[in-house]
Amino acid sequence: LPLKNRIGIVGVTIDANSPDKLQSLEELQYQVTQQTLKDAGLKMEDIDGIVVAGNDQIDGRAITLMAASGSVGGVDRDILCTPSAAEHAFVLGTLRVATGQFRTQLIISWSPIDGSPLNEIQRLAADPYFNRALPIDEPAAHALQASVLHDRMPEIEGLAKLVIEKNKRHGKVANAKSAPGTVRAPWPLEQLTAPTRGLTALIIASSDFIAERKLKNVAWIEGIGWATEPSLIGDRDLSTLPSLQAAAKLAYKHANVKFPAKTFRVAEVSDYTPYQELLAYEGLGLCSRAEWSKKLADGTFASGGALPVNLSGGSQSSNPVFCSGLVRIAELGNQVRGAAGPHQLKDAHWGVAVASSGPAMQYNTVVVLSDGRKEAH
Amino acid sequence: MSGTRVGIIGVGQSAFQPRRNDANYPELVREAVNLCFADAKLGFDDIEALVYSLAPDAMVGIGNAERVGVDAVGAKNKPFLRLNTGGATGISSVAAAYYHVASGMFDVVMTAGADKVGECGDSQTVLNKIWDPTYERPLPLGTITMLAMSAVRYMDKYGMTEEDMARVVVKNRAQAALNSNAHLRKLTTIEEVMASRYVSWPIKLFDCCPQSSGGGAVILASEKYITDRNLDAVWITGVAHSTETYYLGDRMGENVVADHADSFALKGAFERAYRMAGIKDPRKTVDVAELYSPFSNTEFHAIEGAMLADLGESLGMMRNGEFQLGGRLPVNPSGGVLCTNAIAVTGMVRVIEIALQLRGDAGGHQVKNAKVGIASANGGDHQFFGTMVLEA
Repeated sequence: LPLKNRIGIVGVTIDANSPDKLQSLEELQYQVTQQTLKDAGLKMEDIDGIVVAGNDQIDGRAITLMAASGSVGGVDRDILCTPSAAEHAFVLGTLRVATGQFRTQLIISWSPIDGSPLNEIQRLAADPYFNRALPIDEPAAHALQASVLHDRMPEIEGLAKLVIEKNKRHGKVANAKSAPGTVRAPWPLEQLTAPTRGLTALIIASSDFIAERKLKNVAWIEGIGWATEPSLIGDRDLSTLPSLQAAAKLAYKHANVKFPAKTFRVAEVSDYTPYQELLAYEGLGLCSRAEWSKKLADGTFASGGALPVNLSGGSQSSNPVFCSGLVRIAELGNQVRGAAGPHQLKDAHWGVAVASSGPAMQYNTVVVLSDGRKEAH
Repeated sequence: MSGTRVGIIGVGQSAFQPRRNDANYPELVREAVNLCFADAKLGFDDIEALVYSLAPDAMVGIGNAERVGVDAVGAKNKPFLRLNTGGATGISSVAAAYYHVASGMFDVVMTAGADKVGECGDSQTVLNKIWDPTYERPLPLGTITMLAMSAVRYMDKYGMTEEDMARVVVKNRAQAALNSNAHLRKLTTIEEVMASRYVSWPIKLFDCCPQSSGGGAVILASEKYITDRNLDAVWITGVAHSTETYYLGDRMGENVVADHADSFALKGAFERAYRMAGIKDPRKTVDVAELYSPFSNTEFHAIEGAMLADLGESLGMMRNGEFQLGGRLPVNPSGGVLCTNAIAVTGMVRVIEIALQLRGDAGGHQVKNAKVGIASANGGDHQFFGTMVLEA
């Protein structure tokens, strides 16, 4: 890793389907922060920087960082906000610790469902000249991506069903709560879960801090890469995802991963649609699209397979919209730390996460984690 | 600190105006990017990663408007992320770009953005939505009324008069008149400021910043990249943020951590930045300051938060002309935020202006022999403070 300092994840909380609607967002932010500190065995005084990811439109207020800063312990602290994507907070936190200026960072993101009507605010995120009038929201953009893939690969519809079945099975083990959601053609209703309120937080720390505190169950950040697709959806070939390949290339270079399908024991990938999970297989270099059918049929990516993908059930089992990407990183962190609970994979010592955000996966972030063991690349 | 040394090798900023009907939002971003490339003699292929600077989306009327800016900054298939810390966003974005390079991961990173505040309809309607909907939003608060309360407290604690506030306006307008990129460049007088209408007592129209449209961009590079190519650079030697409480009510009354009259967290952020830069006595070390002050009264907070004066002491120093161009320690020689405020990049422009000063390229508002400069920006309800120390 070219980063100046080695960095590990030492605490994780995932609250991806918060059932108590009487609690305010600020109360939940406080609870998740405290829970993550407890998981890491640290106190707030140990945190010397915070990066949050909140989205003004989803939260229904401007500069949403403001209201959160107290409940996540930000007063008198160095706190920043990445509203572009929840996973970007993880990226920025990692860079901050890598500078040596900070030893620890709290990374936290949230996604309420009662702040604003999601479809409306997503339509307002389309550029006002070309796309807003369509109108297009994120499910519609994801559906366009699926339609293009249907056009290029008629057999993909069957593969998408296999991905859905796999993740639903995984979700039952992981106790993920799911509910049918809205639909845009060509999705059947059962392929998309309804948005849920959710929060997730991680604490990352430098290797010297981890050694000094004798912290256990560390998921080490071996590689990190992120990249973006162009501004307008019309400028993209939605059947491919060059930005994911660019992000993976960057992360693998840092992690010295040459044969990802052999290196990784587990993967968590964004899958707002099953087609996105398929694109992730390709973008991560786990298999070519020519092999999708074979690998899904032989159970490679299922629980018990050589490289289980989305043992958590993925976004299709639990969909806290804005923070879903960071949840993928947090889920992988828990797998590598041996803290995933009922869906824990034995020996998940090297893994990869794809966090995607925006219409038809505009932003893509790849994170490679290990438990510190050397791996044959 | 063990990170890589980071320098600024290119800057670009628009000539800020009330409206830019000739350029849409991404075009305004691209304008700043092009100016920055011309300054650094670099192009899109040289940039490894991008940090996008955009405060509340509602100012440009597009949700997650950074997405439409991806092409404007040339981020296709490159690392890209956005910062939003309100008015501090511009300096937070430079800080984030700094972290990209100082981490050792990248050699050349650009941060860029733009705003069209003058075309957003009513920025105060947007900014009212930053407050809690139950307790403080219905007052109704805006950034003007919020800082008018601060002015009243500052008057009570330290004896500031409305003439003191007007003195800041006269100074900054005179300095903006020398800066071709400033929005408000017309000279004014204390009498004229005092005769302008009240917006929210004691803040009058001339005590307020304008709503500006324009863009900004900065390219940062590692020491290795700079020395390998024998480039000129301004070095970032201190970077820090700090934060106050969300609720204004928590900054008033007895036993508060931070008093709304002062800038508790700004001072904390500057203390961190100075410590990182190894500066022990800023009054003796700093040659020039660009301090985020959107209303005349807040320049006193900023000067004192930067520890260029003790609490309440800046009033007398301002009367003595110590902070004007040609004075002992010029503050806001560009005319500052009081004369130009395109919110998304206002904090970035503070850094750009200091970089120009330390390069000797500030033109008519150049401070002679400036070697060490500081920049700051404030976001939210005077809540987030970003600070930076730069050295020639």
